[in-house]
Amino acid sequence: MSWRYRFTLLFFLLFFALIIMRLFYWQVVRAQELSAIGQAQYDQQVVSEAQRGEIKTSDGFSIAADKLAYLVYINPKVVKNKDSESDALGKLLDIKSATVSALLSLNKFWVPIKSSVDNNVKEKISAKNLPGVGFEEQTVRYYPEASMAAQLLGFVGKDARGNDQGYFGLEGYYDRQLSGKNGYAIVVHDASGHPILAKMNNSTVKVDGRDLVLHIDRRIQYMLDTELKKGISAYGAKSGMAAVMDPKTGAILAMSSFPDFDPSHYQNYPDSTYINPFITDTYEPGSTFKPLIMSAAMNAGLIQPNTQCDICSGPVPIGGYQLHTWNDHYFPNTSMTDVIVHSDNTGMVFVGEKLGLDRMLDYMQKFGIGDMTGIDLQGEEAPGLRAKDQWHPIDLATASFGQGIVVTPMELLDAVDAIANNGKRMQPQIVAAVQTPDGQTISIPPKEINQPISATTAQVMSQIMVDAADEGEASFARIKGYNIAGKTGTASIPVAGHYDPTKTIASYVGFGPAENPRFAMLVVLNQPSSSIYGAETAAPVFYAVAKDILMYYGIPPSE
Amino acid sequence: MKKPIIIISFLGIVIVLMLILRISLVNSISTTGITLVNIQSKIASYKRENELLKVAYLQSASYATIGKEARKLGYVPVTSEIDLSAPLPLALAK
Repeated sequence: MSWRYRFTLLFFLLFFALIIMRLFYWQVVRAQELSAIGQAQYDQQVVSEAQRGEIKTSDGFSIAADKLAYLVYINPKVVKNKDSESDALGKLLDIKSATVSALLSLNKFWVPIKSSVDNNVKEKISAKNLPGVGFEEQTVRYYPEASMAAQLLGFVGKDARGNDQGYFGLEGYYDRQLSGKNGYAIVVHDASGHPILAKMNNSTVKVDGRDLVLHIDRRIQYMLDTELKKGISAYGAKSGMAAVMDPKTGAILAMSSFPDFDPSHYQNYPDSTYINPFITDTYEPGSTFKPLIMSAAMNAGLIQPNTQCDICSGPVPIGGYQLHTWNDHYFPNTSMTDVIVHSDNTGMVFVGEKLGLDRMLDYMQKFGIGDMTGIDLQGEEAPGLRAKDQWHPIDLATASFGQGIVVTPMELLDAVDAIANNGKRMQPQIVAAVQTPDGQTISIPPKEINQPISATTAQVMSQIMVDAADEGEASFARIKGYNIAGKTGTASIPVAGHYDPTKTIASYVGFGPAENPRFAMLVVLNQPSSSIYGAETAAPVFYAVAKDILMYYGIPPSE
Repeated sequence: MKKPIIIISFLGIVIVLMLILRISLVNSISTTGITLVNIQSKIASYKRENELLKVAYLQSASYATIGKEARKLGYVPVTSEIDLSAPLPLALAK
């Protein structure tokens, strides 16, 4: 074999070896990396964002919906006249021009200036043709009624990964139903970047969030908001809350509390305003608790409306304490009806003693005192009842007139609702139905929890409460011609081991019309300053709303 | 000798026709990407308009806006009501 032949053979062997090595390098060593680069050139993952469900009031109006907004950004490198541009942007975006100027001085190609910018503002900026300014579409949560029922709705913020998440109220409680699920698809592009008309490789399909249809009646909510706000201002209260319920179904028709916040701009308000006090705050209910204890004793057959109180002629001594009436007026041998009408504490001590601790605790549990009502809102609290061995005779006596025991306003309203609903206690419900994206409506039926008292007892108690409303301390505010059942409450606030006589929680609970209740309502004012009494503060608010509701429902007078 | 020529010619013609067909198909499909982009951008603009109109409607129909406008126009809340009792049926009245 000549050397030429050998050289040629060797050359080709080396040449092929080099090719094989190179191919091995591309095909094996860098295969994964190159495959990813190639994939990125013709494939693109498209995120199909699920639309968050809307929250609608009973009239179908969306009080929470998604809205198109814009992120305004700028490329500082193309801006020539920084001063004039920062002035113009500052004015249009309502931020200091110095802040914009500082952003324009950054050595970057993309600087975000402001997010959640309205379309109107975007149009104004676009019209100015400012160099370097661009817009990125965003979806933000929008609440057309601003702060109406804010604590009931909650708000949408971000989670740790930057995704939308509902917090508090309905947005929090129903977050999974509302948020839906994003879809992901791979779109193939040609060399120019245009999508190729080919079947998309869907990895997951987008599922839009479900809509919630509430029992909340927007008109009643508006009336309640307006009157409660007016009442807080007129009576100099620190805060206030109220709710209206349909006694027969447990449907919450309106729920309001102040101070509140605007869910669209929740960041501008203190965290404390996010919490719905109607389901989280505990307070001593005072005399609004009396109808529950009275109806429990009547249901147990221990007293009748005309039973006479034999300890009501003066202050009642118990465990070293003297228990007085709220105004130190005493009615010897008063009837049980008058005990409620005069809001007589000594009469309630008489009822409490008749009832005894075991039966009182049993009835309290049946009325749901100490338990969560199960309302479909995030953050409901239940203060719980003390253990039986921690009750002393004085506790039994004071609990009978609503002191020394704590409830949430929701618990109390739900318990009184049982009196309005022939003794049946309903679970409070905010959401009436869930609508799926494909148009199906899933109704949520009313739920009866239990029946703490008989229908007869409930009717008798209703009549006593009508008498209390017509002849009691708040009779000046009553609506003539209508049978409204009601009870005032003025609860002292415990401060450092004693009750502060100047600070009270004034409340009024009731329902109407008594013969066929269409609404049950509780109004609570925290520390009113013009008067400490529920009859002079919470009751007028209650009756103002009640009158509006009666007119709105078109209910004719009973008399 | 004639047969192979005919067959080869026939195959040649078929190949040419197939090529023409393929080119025309590729040509027609090649622009669908652009059409697709146009359609997508139209859909996006309609959706955007829809969103903006929905927000404008919600804004106008909200009680917050209606209340404000009503106050501007001088409307006041109803504070009294009138009840009209229905007259008794004639037969009963007599």
